[in-house]
Amino acid sequence: MPEVRERRTVSSWQEGTSNSNNYSLQSRYTEEHLSVGITWTLKADGLQQHKTTPGVTLVRNRKLRSSSPKLGDWINVGWPDDAILRWCASHMLRKKLPFLHSLLSPVSRHVGHLAGHQYDVIVVGGGHAGTEAAAAAARVGAETLLITQKIHTIGALSCNPSLGGVGKGQLVKEVDALDGLCGRAGDWAGIHFSILNRRKGPAVWGPRAQLDRQRYRDFIQSELLSTPRLTVLEGSVEELLVTEPNPEEPGHHRVTGIRLANGSHAISARSVVLTTGTFLSGSLFVGQTTSPGGRIGDAPSSPGLSHTLRERLGLRTGRLRTGTPPRIVKDSVDLSLAKLHLPDSHPTPFSFLNTHTHCKPEEQLPCYLTFTTPGVERVVRESLQLNCHIQQDTKGPRYCPSIESRVLRFPGRSHQVWLEPEGVTSDLLYPQGLSMTMPPDIQLRLIREIPPMRRAEIHTPGYGVQYDFVCPTQLSPALQVKSTQGLFLAGQINGTTGYEEAAAQGLWAGANAARWALSMPTVTLSRTESYIGVLIDDLVSRGVTEPYRMFTSRAEFRTSLRPDNADLRLTPKGFEEVGCVSSVRYQESLRVRNSLQDALTALQALFLSTSSWKKKLPSVPISETKSTLLTGLDLLQYNDVTFEMLASAFPESLSSYMEFAQRLKIEAVYKPHCDLNKKEIERIQREENMSLPQDIDYFSLPVSLSDEVREILDRVRPSTLGAATRLEGITPAAVVNLLNYVRVTEKKKETHRNQRHQEAQRDEELCANSASLPQ
Amino acid sequence: MAGFTQRLPPPRTALLRSITDPRSTEVLDRGLVLWFPAPRSFSGEDSVEFHIHGGPAVITAVLQALGSVPGLRPAEAGEFTRRAFQAGKLGLTEVEGLGDLIHAETEAQRRQALRQMSGELGRLYQDWSDRLKRCLAHVEAFIDFSEDELIEDGVLNRVDVSVRDLQAEIERHLKDERRGERLRGGVQVVIAGATNAGKSSLLNKLCQRPAAIVSPIAGTTRDVVETALDLGGFPVLLSDTAGLRDSSDLVEREGVRRALERVEQADLTLVVVDSAHLPSEVDRAAAFLREHLSSVLPDTGRCLLVLNKADLLPEKQRQKLDMELRGVSGLPAVCLISCQTNEGLKDFLTVLHSSVKTLCGDPLFGAPTLTQARHRAHLQRCAAALAQYQRYRDTDLALAAEGVRVAVTSLGRITGRVGAEEILDIIFKDFCIGK
Repeated sequence: MPEVRERRTVSSWQEGTSNSNNYSLQSRYTEEHLSVGITWTLKADGLQQHKTTPGVTLVRNRKLRSSSPKLGDWINVGWPDDAILRWCASHMLRKKLPFLHSLLSPVSRHVGHLAGHQYDVIVVGGGHAGTEAAAAAARVGAETLLITQKIHTIGALSCNPSLGGVGKGQLVKEVDALDGLCGRAGDWAGIHFSILNRRKGPAVWGPRAQLDRQRYRDFIQSELLSTPRLTVLEGSVEELLVTEPNPEEPGHHRVTGIRLANGSHAISARSVVLTTGTFLSGSLFVGQTTSPGGRIGDAPSSPGLSHTLRERLGLRTGRLRTGTPPRIVKDSVDLSLAKLHLPDSHPTPFSFLNTHTHCKPEEQLPCYLTFTTPGVERVVRESLQLNCHIQQDTKGPRYCPSIESRVLRFPGRSHQVWLEPEGVTSDLLYPQGLSMTMPPDIQLRLIREIPPMRRAEIHTPGYGVQYDFVCPTQLSPALQVKSTQGLFLAGQINGTTGYEEAAAQGLWAGANAARWALSMPTVTLSRTESYIGVLIDDLVSRGVTEPYRMFTSRAEFRTSLRPDNADLRLTPKGFEEVGCVSSVRYQESLRVRNSLQDALTALQALFLSTSSWKKKLPSVPISETKSTLLTGLDLLQYNDVTFEMLASAFPESLSSYMEFAQRLKIEAVYKPHCDLNKKEIERIQREENMSLPQDIDYFSLPVSLSDEVREILDRVRPSTLGAATRLEGITPAAVVNLLNYVRVTEKKKETHRNQRHQEAQRDEELCANSASLPQ
Repeated sequence: MAGFTQRLPPPRTALLRSITDPRSTEVLDRGLVLWFPAPRSFSGEDSVEFHIHGGPAVITAVLQALGSVPGLRPAEAGEFTRRAFQAGKLGLTEVEGLGDLIHAETEAQRRQALRQMSGELGRLYQDWSDRLKRCLAHVEAFIDFSEDELIEDGVLNRVDVSVRDLQAEIERHLKDERRGERLRGGVQVVIAGATNAGKSSLLNKLCQRPAAIVSPIAGTTRDVVETALDLGGFPVLLSDTAGLRDSSDLVEREGVRRALERVEQADLTLVVVDSAHLPSEVDRAAAFLREHLSSVLPDTGRCLLVLNKADLLPEKQRQKLDMELRGVSGLPAVCLISCQTNEGLKDFLTVLHSSVKTLCGDPLFGAPTLTQARHRAHLQRCAAALAQYQRYRDTDLALAAEGVRVAVTSLGRITGRVGAEEILDIIFKDFCIGK
């Protein structure tokens, strides 16, 4: 990986936005970048070839994009060509061809000074949400500024050195499918890959990796610092600049930028994305000491920001807590007393663009499993009065509890503790499951009650954090604050926990912030098409009472939302509708989609009698009683049949699809179930398309609703009927009434739209048919 | 209208008042007035009840007076119930029960409807739904947490047992042979047999009016004649059909086809035989009837054998026949009657009543019965989905869990809805989850 020689990138590309027809593809970027020794790679995909400063050859290398960068390389990931293609695609889809002309004859535009005074999008915070948000905003085409307290902590893994898992792995795959960073960063930094739930069915496989902290950070930093249109600035945000709203859009306020601490340097932007993590009124807890801050070693963030959110914008906030375990000196642990846990022998990369991981299979590091003892419980109980954090009743994550709450809630048990590597060269271990907040000397006593750590030394003690979050029901599905035009929130500030949840929100908030800034309509993801959609819908329509973590059980259509098909579900949409996906990835996803379709067609075309199949595949127990004809697709649904077997029996029609063998097997097995889901998915999508006006007065709405239901609707203000149906306390009858209301108002608006189909379906589903009512 | 111009009367108290027309101030009636403030009213909204005298003039006058009050209009059909449902006062199955109660025509129907309206059927489904949700929560916990957490090993095995038990219970409930639905919709009883056996006479006897034309000419009845009866509290739809014989007459042939179709759909067939056609040797009668039965009923469903025209038999043969045919294996209950003299009719009615009662079940005992085809469809989907769990249990837990999810949704469709949060709450209540 490259050494980061320049802490700031420059606003090297001024790309015209859809409303200003200036489109500069050759600004002074070459000079500026050459000055720090960067070789940029660039080639337009058949649209335009760009010349740069003589002597520098700019060649876009697809291979480089999909594999890991080599030491000393500075690699840029696809742009202006991508940006043009994306822009063209999205505008051609909207039939706004006249724009194309101005686009293809670019005009130079003034390039901003280092960290200028005006941006399209400002992202505050450089964690998992902030980095994805900034990168996504830039990919969509917005001139973006990322402000973080310390550039060198960008991409830091504050807690566990791992990525993915059950439910979370799905999020990583989806972020990758939308061209986000974390999947590729995980492939680069992973040092122990495994697929969790391997034996429970592909829909719930959980791709996961232990990470090398340093490598992860390096990758993210190098990606961001080489992302065009993205400027990174070190600083602390003092306050949000807020003004009167644009009267043509809903909302009571409009954000216009931020003001930095120390020097009152104001920077304006059309959108601001806040990803402040645990820093919003954050307090750190160790034993009986409390200090302001969001992460040990970092300065607390300014109280001004949280003041603006609460007082100026009137946002409701709540308080949550989390914690992290002490880091253990590796050499002081007797790992022979713990159970060795090996990674998969063939690491599976997260990214759809990668065929292999950076770490070689044989170079992977193991994890170790050990268990708590009764001594651990004793230490927790004896030190309770010295433990401020645990005595507070702020809600912590139920599924990532501290060791204190684990032994207090389930006493007399032995609890799992994973000892995980922190990196290839790191001499620390991360004890997963031992998050604790007691005084450091007692932490040492506690860990020494666990056999492999009998003589262990603590490098950094564990600590707890309490922080403010903004009740996410105040957000739209685009993660924009409903009351404030241009203000977007992502990550822990919305009450979630976990890197993957943060990254997913960051990407979506960043893409939407860019679209808002560029006067393009914001976009939403349905819970029927993605885990990201499930995550956002749960947040904005239900809110949180504890830190929110993703589980596969949250997704109603789990059999359709699989990790293996995230690219098919999201990449085309990300390119065509959102604009956050590069053309390389888009083309690849189309190739995959077409190949899979062709292969399924070829399988269905193999139409043989059971006896012929028996001859072809003698090892497979095909029931003789079935006298019917079976297709190759039917056969592939058998437990013992693999695509490889079919391909070797029918090489002429199938062998060309061998690279998709596993995906085809999964598609075949899940197809009947996904087909069954389709009707329900369509019903939900129809409901999600029925929007409820944001300014609706639920208390005077002339429909039959109980006061309780009116209160809930008024408080949450669901954006769509679909979101309303999932609110707690909303009865099926209330949904029928709302539906009627929406229908009536929509009919008034668009009388020509034929909704009879919707009505018929909906009536049937809700069973509130008057036929069963007494006459 | 009732003189409460200044303030409202005390809630839920019956008050005797003069009811006056607010426009003309004319007294229309003296009656009871009851005030139910929301939410403790049937529909959950503010309501008032006028108890007035039932003469048409009084009713019309009061309704007109009410109609003249701004904001008041007559309720649409079913509107009160719909509002009660919308206010969450009644669940879906209870609404259905209420509808049935209002439509109940017989005692047994009323009992069944009342039982359903009081929520008993809803509770049975709710109980299944709760058990299924627990199963689902455990499977979900196993999927989402077992790699990292200490989920006990036996969790899935316990789910296996629960799913198997539930599947069996639901299938048993489904195998009630449509008793509840039959009670709700009426038992289909079809009179069938050869021509001129006295089928139409039997129908007329049972409904105590000349519903069908009776004549000595064979083939008088050509189409199906239907009539509804209240048989000791049970609803019966009685059909008389054309006599079964080969005929060259096109119309009669169609009649015979319809007769056979009815017999196929019947809950109970009354096979009427002309006693005079019985063999004179009594000991051969059983064999004769068995053969006759198999010619009338292709596959023997529930039926009663009615030997009509018993008055034409000599007394001695009648008694012998009666003795001989009692409890013969391979023969249904046999009743010797005469539509002419009413002989044996009382005994026959007792037999018929008990058969109908068996077909409907006693609405007050045992588990509540299925009353609606809608419920049956959802329950069948539920049982099929549980079979999917079994099928994928060892190969793909995601698809197995999908089976339980579909089962929960299908049950939820009967009673209400289910959300993912409910499942997660159960997961966290039952397991020690720690990363």
